[in-house]
Amino acid sequence: MKLFKSVHMYDYPWSLVSAANWQKYPNEHCPHVYAVDVLDRRVEPDTGVLITERLITVKQNVPTIILKLMGTGHTQYVREISRIDPKSKTLTMDSINLTLSSYMSVAETIEYTEHPSAPGKTQFTQQAAISAGTKLSRWASLVEDFSAKRFQQNADIGREGFNQVLQRFVVRAEASAAHQAQAASS
Amino acid sequence: MSSSIGSECTDLKQKYDTCFNKWYSEKFLKGDTTPECEDLFKDYKACVMVALKEKQIDTLLADARKESPFPPPSSSSNSEA
Repeated sequence: MKLFKSVHMYDYPWSLVSAANWQKYPNEHCPHVYAVDVLDRRVEPDTGVLITERLITVKQNVPTIILKLMGTGHTQYVREISRIDPKSKTLTMDSINLTLSSYMSVAETIEYTEHPSAPGKTQFTQQAAISAGTKLSRWASLVEDFSAKRFQQNADIGREGFNQVLQRFVVRAEASAAHQAQAASS
Repeated sequence: MSSSIGSECTDLKQKYDTCFNKWYSEKFLKGDTTPECEDLFKDYKACVMVALKEKQIDTLLADARKESPFPPPSSSSNSEA
C-alpha cells in the first residue's frame, strides 16, 4: 500500500474556497478531468450540512502494459461524497475509484478548513491510500508505484489549477460587487 | 463550466450548476438552507441516469452505494476528525 499526505494553505477565506470548489473544473491544468456530474445532493435537516454525491470522469493516458493488465481503457470513473458544514467551516470530500475496483483501490480524503491560526486563509489537507489487490499478483507493486506517481502528479496540477480558479473567482466577485455598487448608486 | 458524462446532458447540467452556485453563495453560506434548484436538478439527473445506464456504470454505482450508501447514515455515528 502507498500512503500520501499533503498539507497546503490557500490565501483566501474558507467560504470563498468552498464556493470556488464547485467551479474547479474545467481548468487548463487539469485536462484529465473530463466530466463532473452531481448524482445526488441534499441538506441534512438535523445538522444543516450539505452532502453531495458526484461522479467524476477521468480521461488520462495510461501505459499499455497497465491497460492490458487490467483490461481497461483510458477512461476511469471516481465516486465522491462531500460534506459541507458552514457553521464549523469544514468541507470534506471522500472519493474512491468506481472502475478497476476489483484490481485496486485509490481512496482519497480532502479537507478544507479555516486555517487554525489565520482566519482569512484556508487549510487544505489531502490524504490517499493506494493499494493493488491480489488479482494483480506479481504486478501489484508495479501498478501501485505507477498509481502513486500518477496521484502525486495529479495532486500537484490540481493545486495549481485550483489556485488559478480561486484568482479568477476573486476577480469575478470583485467585479460583481463593483457592478452592484454602481447599479445601487445610479 | 464542466461537461457532463452524457454530452446531451451538459446543457441541463450547466443550467442546474448556475442555479446551485448562486444558491450556495447567496443563501446556503448565509444560513438559508431552503432548497431552490430542485426542478432543474430533477431534469439534469434524469438525463445523467440514462447516460450512466448506456455506459453501464449504473451497476458499478449501485454496488458502490451498497457498501457506502448515500445519504450516509446519521452523522452522529461518525466522529468528526
